[in-house]
Amino acid sequence: MNIAGVVVRARPSLVTQVEALLNAMVGVEVHAHTEDGRLVVTIEEESDRGLADIMVGFHDLPGVLSAAMIYHEYSTDEDAA
Amino acid sequence: MKQTRREFIKTNAIVATAAAAGVALPGLQSAEAAGSSNIRWDKAPCRFCGTGCSVLVGVKDGRVVATQGDPDAPVNRGLNCIKGYFLSKIMYGKDRLTQPLLRKTNGKYDKEGQFEPVSWDEAFTLMADKWKTAMQEKGPSAVGMFGSGQWTVWEGYAAAKLHKAGLRTNNIDPNARHCMASAVAGFMRTFGIDEPMGCYDDLEHADAFVLWGSNMAEMHPILWTRLTDRRLTNPHVKVAVLSTYEHRCFELADNGMVFTPQTDLAILNYIANYIIQNGKVNKDFVANHTNFALGNADIGYGLRPTDPREQKAANADKAGGSKPISFEEYAKFVSEYTLDKAHEISGVPKKNLEELAALYADPNVKVVSYWTMGFNQHTRGTWANNLVYNIHLLTGKISEPGNGPFSLTGQPSACGTAREVGTFSHRLPADMVVTNPEHRAKAEHIWKLPEGTIPDKPGFHAVLMQRKLRDREMNCYWQMCNNNLQAGPNINEEMLPGWRDPANFIVVSDPYPTVSAMGADLILPTAMWVEKEGAYGNAERRTQFWHQQISPPGESKSDLWQVMEFAKYFKTDEVWPEELLAKMPEYKGKTLYDVLFANGQVDKFPLSDLNKGFENDESHAFGYYAQKGLFEEYASFGRGKAHDLAPFDDYHAARGMRWPVVEGKETLWRFREGYDPYVPAGEGVRFYGKKDGRAVIFALPYEPAAESPDQEYDLWLSTGRVLEHWHSGSMTRRVPELYRAFPDAVVFMHPDDAEARGLRRGMTAKLATRRGELTAKVETRGRNRPPKGLVFIPWFDAGRLVNKLTLDATCPISKETDFKKCAVKVSKA
Repeated sequence: MNIAGVVVRARPSLVTQVEALLNAMVGVEVHAHTEDGRLVVTIEEESDRGLADIMVGFHDLPGVLSAAMIYHEYSTDEDAA
Repeated sequence: MKQTRREFIKTNAIVATAAAAGVALPGLQSAEAAGSSNIRWDKAPCRFCGTGCSVLVGVKDGRVVATQGDPDAPVNRGLNCIKGYFLSKIMYGKDRLTQPLLRKTNGKYDKEGQFEPVSWDEAFTLMADKWKTAMQEKGPSAVGMFGSGQWTVWEGYAAAKLHKAGLRTNNIDPNARHCMASAVAGFMRTFGIDEPMGCYDDLEHADAFVLWGSNMAEMHPILWTRLTDRRLTNPHVKVAVLSTYEHRCFELADNGMVFTPQTDLAILNYIANYIIQNGKVNKDFVANHTNFALGNADIGYGLRPTDPREQKAANADKAGGSKPISFEEYAKFVSEYTLDKAHEISGVPKKNLEELAALYADPNVKVVSYWTMGFNQHTRGTWANNLVYNIHLLTGKISEPGNGPFSLTGQPSACGTAREVGTFSHRLPADMVVTNPEHRAKAEHIWKLPEGTIPDKPGFHAVLMQRKLRDREMNCYWQMCNNNLQAGPNINEEMLPGWRDPANFIVVSDPYPTVSAMGADLILPTAMWVEKEGAYGNAERRTQFWHQQISPPGESKSDLWQVMEFAKYFKTDEVWPEELLAKMPEYKGKTLYDVLFANGQVDKFPLSDLNKGFENDESHAFGYYAQKGLFEEYASFGRGKAHDLAPFDDYHAARGMRWPVVEGKETLWRFREGYDPYVPAGEGVRFYGKKDGRAVIFALPYEPAAESPDQEYDLWLSTGRVLEHWHSGSMTRRVPELYRAFPDAVVFMHPDDAEARGLRRGMTAKLATRRGELTAKVETRGRNRPPKGLVFIPWFDAGRLVNKLTLDATCPISKETDFKKCAVKVSKA
């Protein structure tokens, strides 16, 4: 199990569209955004392999200028799954 | 229970992320703050690039399980890039090496044998035997080491000392030669002292940013995030991006420019000419703080002396020479670089060039210039550095908040270790050089060595070492903390033959079986990152420490332990001439370890000085606080000489400090009164690296690349990196997520160039140069968009050794390879 926290920066004029696009991605959740374009985002991913794909995908969304990782925790514990 | 655990982790992630973004989320409390986690958190600078982000490393049951951006770090303010985010996994690749491996047949060393586990003692005994034999036959220049800008400060210092003072050879060079040497040479030539005058605080003060050959969005993502914030929250701020192909930075660019490779030299001279022609020279600044010089031209390409391009070059043997000129002579020199000429040579539209020049010329616009490998990996890399300084000096836009030239670094301690402690083949600690008798005397004094110990000629630099191995002039080679057999140029012709020659013995220290390790005769398993106590120095002169937080696997040992322990296998009598020993007979019969490390300085601090709660394997092995002793001895070179470092223990408490640190205070902008304690009151500005306090503005022309496209090899080949992987990928390719994100190198090319060769996106192409060939899938879309006539391929992929294609041409002054320009033929595979 992987859980990550990511700050995404979007063009301020497109922040609501970016929020909608992010929320539409599986395992991705936007928790807050600001008017100047910052979004607080988490990613949850069961498999080890998909997480970077998702993150790299952020860069390809129209309006996204950068995505910076803040927190990452992974666990192979049975009880964490 | 399952839900609770997941939600607990997720809450931590949200709280940390919101804090870093500066967003208030009422009602959420960090589980961390509630004290309900078993994870021990402690700081460490990131293992990858030269930005120097601080991360908090979470350890549970002796294993790193989590990382987060360090919210208290001034560099990254809680942010991490994708590589930093996966730092927790780089130690746990499935193929981690855990014991020394030697090629053997029937129980004995055999160059053609298979790797078999051996003890450290067997490994070092054989190594020392090979070293001594080579030195007896050919002298100290028959042995050498290729080190790293990823070494910790004390590892680089100990390695440089072992070679220059112990083995008495200057044949030690860092892989920073491949990435930073032109920046070093540029700084020394213009300012007489190394490293940037400004710092990252400039990101929040500048009105304009100019990127010269730097894909900051992918290679320095956290600094790019700060730059993006500045641009978006201050609409007047402008961003100009220059590159030989379009990349992600162009998305934010107000003025994006794609130029023909090598022509940055012409653009830089055009800007200087524009400033002069438009009366925008800061006359007071130029009159009081600068000199002018005409640099030697036609200086060759750092190829073998037998190459026709070297034989034809008028000043190949006087590449760094120059003579003083007047401002008027300089103005006349650059006057030929008109707008028309710059446009014609570079292919950049005139409107864009003028807009760029106007940014620099406007006295009311504060400008920061950033560059990385586009300038440095350049056969005129030293010149490119000199020329950008010219612009900042002509306008006085330097050494103050928001104004200045800034060389970004690619490795975490290219500055703090490779440059500052003197691991280059011509250098000693604190910017001193082996060719200067006073500098040698000072080093010999601090190191308590007899006069004449340190050799007075520069050793072999990175590229020359490979040539000397191939020519059998150097027979013993120890490579540490880098992957040069993948990273160095012209692998087939100039590297592999020397490595696999039975006359030579090749040792590689690495945590993983890299291309280099597999090409070696002996592999030494290495502790990495937080498996040892460390210190790195980033691009803004910030020195940062970390504790050993976990134990390395198996018998892995840090580079520091390896260097110091190896010194025990040599007696002074075996490697020093009698007349040298006669000057200090007390050293007779001693080991190099005794002389260099058990010298009353390095072994001065007891184990009781160690921080409680953390391991320190090296100190326990040697019986004293080795890192502290090495650091304090090293720091004595620079204190009072404008390279002041703080006392050792202060760094474990701080999130790093930028040198010179004088009376506990770090220095943000050098050479400017009020910021830099070394500038005397009333002088305003003093470039004190030069005796007269004046920086040098150099007249240097545009000259063509070493190899340009022709009828047969009809495209430019540029090599470089991608966001997901760091350098040769030896760490990041072992993180499953990063591997999957960018598994194989692709060749980025213009769709028209592809079509003209019968290729489409996703098809396999063959890339061939005069030196080698490989195949790769074609990419015509995506993050990099080359213009017609140029292809770009990243070099992280061990399955596609891109450096079989590259040419070993270097800047003749800095000796840094130009990995950005050679001629290639692309066809259907």
